[in-house]
Amino acid sequence: MTRDVLQQKYDAIVVGSGATGGWAAKRLSEAGLKVALLEAGRSVTPKEFTEHLPSFKLKYRNHSPEVLRTRPIQKQCYACMEYNYEWFVNDLENPYSTPPDRPFTWQRLRILGGRSLVWGRQSYRLSDVDFKAASRDGYDVDWPFAYADLAPFYDIVERYVGISGAAEKDEMLPDGQFLPPMKMSCGEVRLREAIKAKFGRTLTIGRTAILTQPHNGRVPCHYCGPCERGCMTFSYFSSPFTTVKDALNTGNCTLITDAVVSHVDMDTSTNKTKGVTFINRTTKETKQVRGKAVILCAQALESTRILLNSSTPEYPNGLANSSGLLGHYLMDHVVGADASGTFVDMDELPTANPPHRPNGIYVVRYRNTPATGKHPHFIRGYGFQGGASPRFNTDAPGIGAEYKKAVKLGTYHVSLGAFGESLANFDNFCEIDPDLKDVWGIPALRISMAHGNNEAALMRDAGVTAAEMLEAAGAKDIHVRTGVEMPGMAIHEVGTARMGNNPKKSVLNAFCQSHDVHNLLVTDGSCFVSSACQNPTLTMMAITVRACDHLVERFRRNEV
Amino acid sequence: MPSPDSEAALSASKLRALSPLIKRRDLIRTALFASVASALGPAFSFAQAASLELTPAARGEDGSNFLTDPNWKAVFLNDQQNETLIALSDVIIPATETPGAKEALVNRYLDLLLSVQPTEFQQQFMDALNFIDAESQKQFGRDFRALVPDDQRSLLTPWAYPRQGSTWMEEDEQPDPAHQHFARLKALIASGYYGSEIGQKELGWEGGFTNGVYEGCQHPPTTHT
Repeated sequence: MTRDVLQQKYDAIVVGSGATGGWAAKRLSEAGLKVALLEAGRSVTPKEFTEHLPSFKLKYRNHSPEVLRTRPIQKQCYACMEYNYEWFVNDLENPYSTPPDRPFTWQRLRILGGRSLVWGRQSYRLSDVDFKAASRDGYDVDWPFAYADLAPFYDIVERYVGISGAAEKDEMLPDGQFLPPMKMSCGEVRLREAIKAKFGRTLTIGRTAILTQPHNGRVPCHYCGPCERGCMTFSYFSSPFTTVKDALNTGNCTLITDAVVSHVDMDTSTNKTKGVTFINRTTKETKQVRGKAVILCAQALESTRILLNSSTPEYPNGLANSSGLLGHYLMDHVVGADASGTFVDMDELPTANPPHRPNGIYVVRYRNTPATGKHPHFIRGYGFQGGASPRFNTDAPGIGAEYKKAVKLGTYHVSLGAFGESLANFDNFCEIDPDLKDVWGIPALRISMAHGNNEAALMRDAGVTAAEMLEAAGAKDIHVRTGVEMPGMAIHEVGTARMGNNPKKSVLNAFCQSHDVHNLLVTDGSCFVSSACQNPTLTMMAITVRACDHLVERFRRNEV
Repeated sequence: MPSPDSEAALSASKLRALSPLIKRRDLIRTALFASVASALGPAFSFAQAASLELTPAARGEDGSNFLTDPNWKAVFLNDQQNETLIALSDVIIPATETPGAKEALVNRYLDLLLSVQPTEFQQQFMDALNFIDAESQKQFGRDFRALVPDDQRSLLTPWAYPRQGSTWMEEDEQPDPAHQHFARLKALIASGYYGSEIGQKELGWEGGFTNGVYEGCQHPPTTHT
């Protein structure tokens, strides 16, 4: 890094290069602003992608002791593997704490692109049933904007990213700008038809950020399967090869990798941020970068940690925290309910050959909707991800030639797994652990979260109704789970710097701007007011674009 | 240098035509990588690609080389245990019209896998192996690996199917250590076999990573309802 890079004064400093940071860098630099994009990890190259490497080429076939030793927490996510574990943070270097009775798993990547490299790619819009949920059921508060305010930005994001999916005209899940949908298996079609006929519920193919036709210079999916190991044709959306690339191509954006941001720096005389301080990841030198605005896109908990670590005499409890709410209302979709079974009369055999569809099916929320009315036992709702396909049956009984035959004959497996709304609750929060620092000396988080009775009731109902739907489709050997997994497992954490119109009851305004410090924005999942039950990344990206366009307007009016 | 877009525009069919795939993979990567590098500009530091912050897989190492090393030696099992494991794997997944677990060197993979497992896991494996030999001694007067194949099959078969309680004594189904020991060994051998290259081919894998678009259900509506 040259001296010039740090001596420049930028218009905007974007912290984090994932799904939201990439969009912020792209949108602001394309509008002509000078942008510094900071990433805590190293750069990434397609050369290190391993999606076409068979697992038998891995020494331990994905049971590497090194992964267990250095990533005992990250390993709890299926995407952290012997293939790619270096993309995930080393848990030994990046500690956090939890109360003993409130475990939380925090999945983190520090590398250009962040979690967009390994995300699940499911992309769903929220609707006014979500944005105005409080008005319907009286719990907590509405979002400070309506669906109509965000819809144009969903359009922008979807048109650029490329979301394949099918329009369903279901009021709970607004349709978007879709590329052609991926196809369903025979078993999925059976399930779709059965639950529409019997329950009037919508099952659709997963809406996913994977191309099904050429789009914006990228080629469609070649159906090799494991997107989370990278994609040499960039057919799924990840920021380094799309938004970040665009930002750098404007000539207005400077990428600074290995910049572990410790805190936001304030100019107390003007009550504005003047930039951020970071520690070089490898040399551990402390450096500053200066700019007229700071946009945190580091992921909800990480952005919140930066703000909590940025206290000043004026903001003794963390920057932009005059409300006292920073870090509170942490949410993560509740998971743990599912049902699985087999279709015994499907004759399709399993095969290890591609094509492997990197996508599943989605059952749209049907509880507490305008159509279904109020549920007696819980508020809000859940959706399902799942799939149906023939599988090899290595659990088959017997030995010898008969066993080999039975394995190949397989079973036609069908399953639905729920993602439920996590209610905003002041008592679910993160704070700075006074006794814990990471290896860069930056104070670490203590995360305290537990799902409550409503989440447990959602999962009970989800398990039961999933089983009913499988049964309606003729599935046999149905297994049901109705548990509640540890928070963090959904990797959909949001809400720690909530938006709102009242500065006493929220951290950010409706454009993700701090109520306290007007040139400070947080546009990642921190800003969410409620979690809804849909996968959040698409909404985070749309909110980021909306917030950045608003910031550009303020620059034009000379307000920053 | 071609533009990243034209270079990335390798169609799925072109990718499919590339063979042998594993070797060509590196060529494709290099081409894409070079074009992306030029598109992204100097802000990207590609020197880092050579750094140690890459997994062995991302560095391009073939981690399976040890399996066929002519000087291979077990790191966890002793000779007798290794021979017992080979014999077990050969009975559970024998060569038929396709190769079996012995040809897939399942014992070598499991030896490595066991060497990095927690002590409890290792102990459970050893207990299972010892149980097999003890039962073999009890019923046939020899260790398992020394039995003729018919006797090996005869010993294992009752444990390879779900256990039934006694129909004479109205006995409830009880957890049965024999079935548990056997199930543990069978599951390990099956995962070692089907996770191997031979095992993947047994499951129909033809060596490719792409094979056209997923076509899904081609039937008219309500065919399956």
